[in-house]
Amino acid sequence: MKTLSRRAWVLYLLVIAFVCGAGILLYTFFSNADSWAMKRTNRHIYKSGVLSTAGTITDRSDKILAQTVDGKRVYNESKNVRIATLHIVGDSQGYISTGVQTAYNDDLTGYNLVDGIYTLKKYGKGSDIKLTIDAELCNTAYEALGKNKGTVGVYNYKTGELLCVVSKPSYDIANKPVESINNDKTGEFDGVYLNRFFSGVYTPGSTFKIITSACAIDNIADIDSQSFKCSGEYHVGGGSVKCMSKHGTVNFEKSLNVSCNSAFADIAVQLGAEKLTATTTALGFGNGIRIGNITTARSRFDLSEASDLDIGWAGVGQYTTRVNPCHMLTIIGAIANGGSSPAPYFVDSIISPSGDTTFSASTALMPPMFTNSTAEKLQKMLRSNVVNYYGDGKFSGLKMCGKTGTAEVSSEEGGKSPHAWFAGYSQREDLPLAIVVVVENGGGGSSVAIPVASKTMQKAAKLFG
Amino acid sequence: MAEKVKKQKAKKSKNPELKNRKKRKYRYRKPVNWLFLLILITAFQVFCAAQILLNGGEELVKSTIYIVFGAYIIAEWVYFIVFAGVFGRKSFEVELIAFFLSGISLALTASVYPGKAYTQLIAIFLGMGVFIVLIWILSDIDRVIKLRIPVAIASIAALVFTLIFAKNINGARNWIIIGHGLMSIQTSELVKIAFVFVGAATLENLQTTKKLTKYIIFSVAVIGLLFVMKDFGTALIFFVTFVVIAFLRSGDIKTLFLIFAGALMGGIGVLTFKPYVANRFASYRHIWEYADDKGYQQVRLLIYSVSGGLFGLGLGNGKLRYVYAATEDLAFGMVCEEFGMIIAFTVLLTFVALVVYSIRYSVAARSSFYSIAACAASTLLLFQAALHVFGATDLLPWTGVTLPFISRGGSSMMCCWGLVALIKAIDVKTYKRYDKVIGK
Repeated sequence: MKTLSRRAWVLYLLVIAFVCGAGILLYTFFSNADSWAMKRTNRHIYKSGVLSTAGTITDRSDKILAQTVDGKRVYNESKNVRIATLHIVGDSQGYISTGVQTAYNDDLTGYNLVDGIYTLKKYGKGSDIKLTIDAELCNTAYEALGKNKGTVGVYNYKTGELLCVVSKPSYDIANKPVESINNDKTGEFDGVYLNRFFSGVYTPGSTFKIITSACAIDNIADIDSQSFKCSGEYHVGGGSVKCMSKHGTVNFEKSLNVSCNSAFADIAVQLGAEKLTATTTALGFGNGIRIGNITTARSRFDLSEASDLDIGWAGVGQYTTRVNPCHMLTIIGAIANGGSSPAPYFVDSIISPSGDTTFSASTALMPPMFTNSTAEKLQKMLRSNVVNYYGDGKFSGLKMCGKTGTAEVSSEEGGKSPHAWFAGYSQREDLPLAIVVVVENGGGGSSVAIPVASKTMQKAAKLFG
Repeated sequence: MAEKVKKQKAKKSKNPELKNRKKRKYRYRKPVNWLFLLILITAFQVFCAAQILLNGGEELVKSTIYIVFGAYIIAEWVYFIVFAGVFGRKSFEVELIAFFLSGISLALTASVYPGKAYTQLIAIFLGMGVFIVLIWILSDIDRVIKLRIPVAIASIAALVFTLIFAKNINGARNWIIIGHGLMSIQTSELVKIAFVFVGAATLENLQTTKKLTKYIIFSVAVIGLLFVMKDFGTALIFFVTFVVIAFLRSGDIKTLFLIFAGALMGGIGVLTFKPYVANRFASYRHIWEYADDKGYQQVRLLIYSVSGGLFGLGLGNGKLRYVYAATEDLAFGMVCEEFGMIIAFTVLLTFVALVVYSIRYSVAARSSFYSIAACAASTLLLFQAALHVFGATDLLPWTGVTLPFISRGGSSMMCCWGLVALIKAIDVKTYKRYDKVIGK
């Protein structure tokens, strides 16, 4: 009997294996619960793949952007608001992955691991979500884009609240033009499900000169006393970096004002791949920005196989460099805020069906991007751009600082006209807002992007100033 | 053995501390307070019945629920009153587990298929019958030895009969339908009891190699027949049970490795030369890619399991029930969704408890037959639960075996009660009364 009972102890190995298996199972349940429960085949939450029961989404002034009425999702009564806020609110089928209705569907449906979807069963809906977005401002920005595709983002560089996020093309979610989207041959609906602000990446063009400048301020001691001769192109490594015009002799500040490619190619070659890469890494290139439940697309800066000519082009924001618009907004916001940007966010608060506030956003600083002195120097230069070159009149009363970009796009990106960029901010104490505008294949930065930025910022000044 | 226990108790009282330390292994185990647990289990079942009534649709015949649950709860209490009162049994751990699990199965069946609630209730009653009769049979070791050859022959015959006349259900030829669908029997389930019974009985009195060879032939025949039926999950369960019995009998780890290596190579061989078998495992670890195809059931199981949360959505509020064969293949997921993860994992722990119970009691068993039978039966249940739970959740390849006790089905219910009878028999206190009679 004794031997047998000793042998029986070996069966504990089976018991241990089973208990370990149960532990692993519990762990996979716990770690995947959110994503599994939110699968579109979960008929507790979706009716034939469409989100049916979920909480209300409101903008910062409590305008209802989406709500459930009698088991159906209903959106804002204004068609223009529906179109302008489509990408931030998201759709009910999950095509727009960064939309609140998809990224926050566990909150909206009241899912949590402890209660499962019990809240949904009990209250018929989950939590309500209040956004920091202003529907009216989105409306203005969307209209300002006109016929062009592109994106506009505005945030408060003191707090991180995103006030405006629009992406174009869009559509009216209440009357989705399914046929037109599916059989689109004209390219009218190219990337319609993409929120370009969070998920797009563009060649930055001259807006990248802000970054080259920052690197130069940090690494070239005599940068302010240097002068650059522009003959319309800068020769390096057997090729040349073309400039928009012949700027003659310019100093550092002037070269940023007029956006002289020759000067910045020269500066970039002086800096070299290593220093430029160090600066971009410090700015967060190569990593997405985590904003609540979503992550932005990663900006790219890679000089690992670059020749001097390539480095010259990279210094003026061409070559293989790509920047995400939201990332650019945080860079410009960091300059405005003295070196580091607050982490951007668009969910203000989440209120459970029982009325408790389960989440309330607060300001958190991202890792510092610039030293305080570099930021101050850049502030002066960006202000100088507006005062001395674009003209303060284009942003009357806003005390704007900024930089335009005209990003040449290669044929693979399918466009002939360059992307027009503007990244800037208001220095007004009562209007601590930064803006980024990208107009796809819109043309020149100052002629196309500045008017969009101006209209949006004027509206913001009216709303919040 | 019973006298020994009494002696210990007597000695203990003289010098309790010393005895306690020295003879810890043989200490008298205080049975759990069965009355308290029985009240808890009854309350749980009343709660289940209330939920079914509350959440049931219009087609639900309420009287069915009253009758089925009423009868079940009465049966439980009658069992306890008879065996505690009349037969003077003191420990009821095994029965409590069996009643708890059967109750869940009854609740699931009554909730999903109210029309089949009576069938499931009868299956449980038949199971209880098997349990009581088997415990009586096991009381006499000579009777066990006498029965083992007829049982072995009957098992093989039943499987052969099934193979010839069986109906193909879900790709495995392992069902016998009697009287045009009046009753369906899955013979492989009933053979499980026989397999453990014969295995343990053959190895009583540590026999000659000839007897062991006979048992190996019997095992190979049973497993081989299951393979021909394409019931690979059950074949695997039998194989593992065989290994456990062989190990307990011989204690030889080397031989076990040989057996395993041989089985592994055989398995690989089957997978290589019979691509359709390998095809069954194509979606393993890739169920989300086959979400509307081979992984359909498993994907739903995962989605709805986590939808239930820790406390479940309540009986009748689930959605997994609408998936094909949910009460059988996806029983674990149904428990997760409707009863919640706490109960679901408690269910898993009860299978662990049965194995631990068998191991702990094996030292004090009346003979090696009881030890081997209990250990083999409990590991069989544990292994089958593992295949079901980890298979359906894609941690192991999915074989589609049922979750013991919980999955709907008469044959498997009777099998489970039979197996727990083998576990129950290990406890000498079960036969206290018989011993007394024999002793006199």
